[in-house]
Amino acid sequence: MKWWKSKFKRLNHNKQQGEDLKSPQSTSEQFTEDFTIDLERLKKEIGHNWDVRFREFQLGETGIQAAIVYIEGLSDKDRIDKHILSSLMTGISEIKVPLSKEFIINHILTISDVTEENDVTGVVSKVLTGSTALIVEGIPNMLVLGTTKEKSRNIEEPVSEAVVRGPRVGFTETLSDNTALLRQQGANRNLSFLHFQVGQRAKKNLVVAYVHEVANPELVEEVIKRVKQINIDIVSESGYVEQLIEDNYLSPFPQLQNTERPDRVLGALMEGRVAILLDGTPFVLLAPVTFSMLLQSPEDYYERWLPSSLIRLLRFVAAFISLFGPAIYISFTSFHQGLIPTKLALSMMGSREGVPFPAIIEALIMEVAIEILREAGLRLPKPIGQAMGIVGGLVIGEAAVRAGIVSPIMVIVVAITAISSFAIPQYSAGISLRLLRYGAMFFAAVFGLYGVVLFFLFLCSHVVKLKSFGVPYTSPTVPYRASDWKDFFVRMPLMMMKRRPNLLRPKDPIRKD
Amino acid sequence: MKHRWFLLGGLVIPVTLFLTGCWSSKEIEDLGIIVATSLDLEEEEDRQEEFLEQEGRSGDRPLFTITNQFVTSKSMNSSSGEESSQQSAYKNISETGDAILPTLRNMTLKNEKRAFAEHSKVIIIGENLARTMNLQQILDFFLREQEIRPSVLILISKDRASSTLEATEPLEIPAFQIVEMIRGHDRTTNILPPVTLAKLEGQLNAGSSFLLQNVASRNGTTRLEGVAVIKGKTEKLIGFLNSKELEGITWIKGKGKGGVVKGFDKESGEPIIYEIMSMKSKITPNVDGNGNIVSFKLNIESEGRISEHWVETESTFKNEFLEKSEKAIEQEVKQLVTNVMDKMQQEYQVEVVGFGKQLRIDYPKLWRKVEKDWDEIFSEIPIKYDIKITINDYGTSGG
Repeated sequence: MKWWKSKFKRLNHNKQQGEDLKSPQSTSEQFTEDFTIDLERLKKEIGHNWDVRFREFQLGETGIQAAIVYIEGLSDKDRIDKHILSSLMTGISEIKVPLSKEFIINHILTISDVTEENDVTGVVSKVLTGSTALIVEGIPNMLVLGTTKEKSRNIEEPVSEAVVRGPRVGFTETLSDNTALLRQQGANRNLSFLHFQVGQRAKKNLVVAYVHEVANPELVEEVIKRVKQINIDIVSESGYVEQLIEDNYLSPFPQLQNTERPDRVLGALMEGRVAILLDGTPFVLLAPVTFSMLLQSPEDYYERWLPSSLIRLLRFVAAFISLFGPAIYISFTSFHQGLIPTKLALSMMGSREGVPFPAIIEALIMEVAIEILREAGLRLPKPIGQAMGIVGGLVIGEAAVRAGIVSPIMVIVVAITAISSFAIPQYSAGISLRLLRYGAMFFAAVFGLYGVVLFFLFLCSHVVKLKSFGVPYTSPTVPYRASDWKDFFVRMPLMMMKRRPNLLRPKDPIRKD
Repeated sequence: MKHRWFLLGGLVIPVTLFLTGCWSSKEIEDLGIIVATSLDLEEEEDRQEEFLEQEGRSGDRPLFTITNQFVTSKSMNSSSGEESSQQSAYKNISETGDAILPTLRNMTLKNEKRAFAEHSKVIIIGENLARTMNLQQILDFFLREQEIRPSVLILISKDRASSTLEATEPLEIPAFQIVEMIRGHDRTTNILPPVTLAKLEGQLNAGSSFLLQNVASRNGTTRLEGVAVIKGKTEKLIGFLNSKELEGITWIKGKGKGGVVKGFDKESGEPIIYEIMSMKSKITPNVDGNGNIVSFKLNIESEGRISEHWVETESTFKNEFLEKSEKAIEQEVKQLVTNVMDKMQQEYQVEVVGFGKQLRIDYPKLWRKVEKDWDEIFSEIPIKYDIKITINDYGTSGG
């Protein structure tokens, strides 16, 4: 247990608050057994809403009063008409006294999802998610019938994580679709989905997924514990969950991985990691994560190991350039001109001739310009965005050089840096490095290469300390685990990866053939 | 309270970082990049007088002129291509003085840019200066200075050294041309392998005699011409060896990586060109029981090919002809080697090719005895030659 020790005091604080809040809810009102009073009470609770529909009717020819409550648009009207109204209104021809709810459930209603509820807030919250409440005169409890209309978009290829080879399937905003996708592709009785509700004012469904015989139970316990501690009005997106359960909120590095790809989630689950799915977002969180995992793409495993290893190495290089590209340029041109090859030094000297700013200002101008361009391109409507990108790129690349604001070599450095940061498969890791790049630039401007090394040491000392759900962020380098290096810089052949990553401490370390 | 400390720390760190200013930061375009330096003995009267007026003179010390070659950044500016053709790619600035550093500092008066010597490629010392002054003294500053790289090449100029830093083509930079020319040493036996400042320092400290590549300027073109001989005892220049003699040196050292030898056919007198593929030499000291050096034996082995021959009557396919050619080449090589050995032993009385080194390895005790006067002792010792040339290839044509 010590190993999974949570250091996060903030979450523990929230937990206590959450328990305080829940207490008044448990003493909620029960329904009486009087039909009209109960219906009035329901109308009082939600009747003022425009989209709530009350339909009162009589059960067949018996004259018994009944009513259904549903929400227009959220409930499936077809199902209500065919399986509830028509059965109830025409299916009962003679009076059976007393009319039992078992009879209605077992003989009349042709609908699969029927539950009983006697608690007002419970009924209201279920009606608000698309269920239909049925009140029948003389029957004490309300029947809640599952009539939620499935509203989901088509399964499409994820935009944020494109691959050349691999399934063109991405998660959607519907939780049941997402879990179904996982079940469908990873049919395994050990694949467990635990359901939780998060959010204090608006409840959202959240599913913690793991493979029972693989995942370390302490890890699962830790994830569940942290998810339960979430105390916030509404959890709109999995980003909220991520920020509320991560280990260190001051760190620039993402401590949970997010993905839109079911194949990546399944791969992670089979390694012994835990996934967190939230209703209403296609982004699934994976925990724990190490820095090297953020530089991996599912495609690495689909292509053969040699090209995959090469591309993976390239990503490490890209991450390095993305972090230190401009910093190294600054330190070389302002401090260590002797380290540049002579001919290059001369051409750099020539190209910087006439640029009025020191290298740091020059780099800042270009870096900020390209960040603005990227942000603007993202926000603009697609057709305009592309045009703006080209115009902006030309203006910055060509005109700024012509105007003598920046040197052509700076444009090359910035372009390579920008491209490198796009080569990082995880967007969240990419923006972290983008942020840290500015730190590196300032250190380079003040101390030269010594400053860059200093910054790198600061970064290292932080990252080495950082943990994601008890797993050191820099593993398998620090702490050194030789067996996990098979899937680190180089992706070894699949037949050599017979063991699951040791750093996750899986229950079952051997992969089954 | 904790938050306040955090905030304070967060402020103090960046503020102190920026208060330091970007010390020692200097933008690349503000540098005057020195690519070559030349040192000459100052003999011109008016220059001397100019110096006297400015500085005053301490004692009767010889004056010398330092010329630094700066690269002008305008020539490298690609965006303003039209202007570049008018301006020279380099700028030589000279200054006279009796010590190196003060003279270099005076150069600040003439050049707006801060001199930066980390890219310096060559130091050329004029003959007159090298003859009159100790090399250790001349180069003392350069050996101490951190900005000067130990990979700087040291050359001697027969003429005024600063004139070798002039080029007729305005867009060429003479320093780079010299470096590129010396790189050709693995294609010919006429160029000495480059001597860097680091190697030179070793030679100077060992007190042994050595050779430096000689560079000359003729009618505006710079060319490599033989070598200068530096005597270990005085660390001064004592004479020159021409290209032919340098070839002999290369053969004795066995360090040549390529090159040609022109031998002559005995009967017809037509030339046979032998191209060196590999070269090996071995020096064996012969010491008698009393600890006296009797003689040295010099073995030279080389393999190569006939790349050209003018002997119409013979066919290269014939083994007799090949043997005859080998003999002819051996003859020629022996000529080269004995020629230079004679000159070194008789005329200059120095040993620069490594006989001493071999003696040190084989008879260290004996070496310690003779070390001090090695140059003189060596000039008395007879040398036996054993030269073996093997032709194992005749190119793509057998005819």
